[in-house]
Amino acid sequence: MLFNSIEFFVFLPIVFILYWFVTAKYLKAQNLLIAVSSYVFYGWWDWRFLSLIAFSSIVDYSIGLLLSKSESKKKRKLLLWISICVNLGFLGFFKYYNFFVQSLVDSFTLLGQPLEISTLKIILPVGISFYTFQTLSYTIDVYNKKLTPTKDFVAFTAFVSFFPQLVAGPIERATNLLPQFYTQRKFNYKLAVNGMRQVLWGLFKKVVIADNCAKYANIIFNNYEDYSGSTLLLGAFFFAFQIYGDFSGYSDIAIGVSRLFGFNLKRNFAFPYFSRDIAEFWRRWHISLSTWFRDYLYIPLGGSRGGTSMKIKNTFIIFLVSGFWHGANWTFIVWGALNAIYFLPLMLTNKNRINTDMVAMHSVLPSVKELSQMAITFFLTLIAWVFFRADSVTHAFLFLKGIFNVSLFSNFQIFPTTIMYLILFFIGIEWMGRRGEYAIDKIDALNKPLRWGFYILIIVLMFSFTGEQQEFIYFQF
Amino acid sequence: MIKFFRNIILFFLVSLIVGEIVVRVTHAVSDIPQRRIDKDGIQKYYPNQTGYWLKGTHTWQINELGWPGELPNSYDNLVTIIGDSFIENFMNPSECHQAVLLKQRLNNYNFLEAARSGVSFIEAFEISKRLDSLKPVKNLIYVTNSDFIESIKDIKPLEDITQVDLKAQKVVYGKMKSPGVKKLLYNWKLAYYFYNRFPINFNFWKPKKPKVVAPKKEDTSFKYGLEIQSLLSYVNENYSINDKILVFHPNSNKAIIELCKQQGFQVIHLNSSKDEKSWTFDYDHHWTCYGHEQAANQVKQGLLNTNLK
Repeated sequence: MLFNSIEFFVFLPIVFILYWFVTAKYLKAQNLLIAVSSYVFYGWWDWRFLSLIAFSSIVDYSIGLLLSKSESKKKRKLLLWISICVNLGFLGFFKYYNFFVQSLVDSFTLLGQPLEISTLKIILPVGISFYTFQTLSYTIDVYNKKLTPTKDFVAFTAFVSFFPQLVAGPIERATNLLPQFYTQRKFNYKLAVNGMRQVLWGLFKKVVIADNCAKYANIIFNNYEDYSGSTLLLGAFFFAFQIYGDFSGYSDIAIGVSRLFGFNLKRNFAFPYFSRDIAEFWRRWHISLSTWFRDYLYIPLGGSRGGTSMKIKNTFIIFLVSGFWHGANWTFIVWGALNAIYFLPLMLTNKNRINTDMVAMHSVLPSVKELSQMAITFFLTLIAWVFFRADSVTHAFLFLKGIFNVSLFSNFQIFPTTIMYLILFFIGIEWMGRRGEYAIDKIDALNKPLRWGFYILIIVLMFSFTGEQQEFIYFQF
Repeated sequence: MIKFFRNIILFFLVSLIVGEIVVRVTHAVSDIPQRRIDKDGIQKYYPNQTGYWLKGTHTWQINELGWPGELPNSYDNLVTIIGDSFIENFMNPSECHQAVLLKQRLNNYNFLEAARSGVSFIEAFEISKRLDSLKPVKNLIYVTNSDFIESIKDIKPLEDITQVDLKAQKVVYGKMKSPGVKKLLYNWKLAYYFYNRFPINFNFWKPKKPKVVAPKKEDTSFKYGLEIQSLLSYVNENYSINDKILVFHPNSNKAIIELCKQQGFQVIHLNSSKDEKSWTFDYDHHWTCYGHEQAANQVKQGLLNTNLK
């Protein structure tokens, strides 16, 4: 079920009313309703894959209980590995099997020893990377004794399958989300209104910014041979806003919907395109994934505590794995490697934590220096997005080759003025709201008529400029 | 909770009002004229209505006879133009209507349009019968394949379209389809905007079927050759056809045209195949201004080739 679909606009009020009017007095019933609704939400796409989530939930729940009963280091480690193997096994099979087989066949063909292994027709279960990492975080935290394993299977099932963030995150830590299922939720007007507001902004990002940019990004990327360097650069620009609008829009809707049910999810985006360097960008982009890798991979590997070679190795590992997490394609690996290359100089010169607060925190506009830093960072991410969007590494290099030639200074062959105005409006609102958790978080400082007027303006823009409905990009991850 | 729901409802109502104003001011949907069924069973419009076409690019008007377009200055040497949405032609400004274009080309004649979307072949003859009091010298009836099929109740009964019951040998007049809903939708512009922009898929809960390339749609017109022949015979027996000229859409089935000729109908078959430029809109199968001009050129030639000299 897509958040921007009629089905969801029917589904959400039904669940909301049942939740607050029928099950509000009983914690178990609230959790059961969330679990059942989440299974309906996911099963709407393909009910067969519900068994995967159910199996993952049973395995991790059981392992959690077994871990709590065992003090033997060996046994605990074994249990942890069982959980890792089961979860990553599913992920590996559904997401990476064909990639590895194809890479193996290609490598042997290159060596003159062709192999005859055929790939399989595998459907990638929506959101598998997200819920796999979420359940893994539970087992690892229980193993590390940071979390007491739950004995409430319904709460655990609801935690794993929580529908607002099931298919595209934010990837919640068990330490943050699971305890919220232990206490009865009471309706909180301010939280619900804030949630509605965030849903509205998320929908705007998705249906106006992302879906409209998608149209032009697709045209330009699919026909890159026909366009000048300037137009190709514009294509990359559209993709940058498509992926930001799409993914952060989804996160906003997920967080907003969770608030309607009395839950607080972690922030996933913090205005990444206002970053002044790549390190800051990665602290602001897909925060739940970056921190997951930091806590469960980078730090266990030794983090930045070792010598220079260890720092370089760990940085590359984390960025490559992060790239690979996004998809079974060399383009994502190159995208990760490129970001590692961007990041390394900052880390090696200890400049990776100089921009920790929001840009122009105490002024209306950025300084010339900040503006140029933001422009350079945005340009670097733009180049990296080309690899993320391209069908193959060759496609990406040809696209970049198309950008960097004399035609870069020619007129745009495509220039949708309305979309550009919408992007400008979007950037303006994001800039004004950058001190909040999301762009229109602080709008309640305005009086009611102005506030409502703004909401209605957003709604009017949404209905006037709705792009062709596209699936959320991150569903495929 | 009560405050939350109260504010949601209030916000919803305010949004509806603002949305209605925005849709009306920006002409986000076309104005739709109100219809009625007259004493003769013909669906036509309430007279003297005007409205805007989509985005306010031009206006349309319903004349005092209840048909779209302007009335001629005189009914002398009158030629009537009867047809469906192609002649109704709300999507183009008045200067692109067949009556205006033909008047420019044949100045000695006066042209009157009588058209409504959904007019069937038999209804066109019914309309023509009602216009006989104006003593037209010719009646041009613009038709295409579906107009014949839709005229025959024996093939597929359609409640809102005037048809012939060939077994009973009588005309069954069409009824207004969901007049209440239509009235509501056409007056509540915001609802009509949503209805157009986001069509509801009532089968959304059903699993999506894999997309397959649809085979080329069978031209069913000739499949019903016998029924069409019976229809033409019925028309021949019950209406005067000497003063009628059937103007066939470029994509019309040649077999139907031949049947009409055999039954004694005068025929003009429009041809757009030699034209490099398309006659139709990109987003709509109706003719653009250019298409109407080309059609008028060919109709003029056709008229000159008949006895209209």
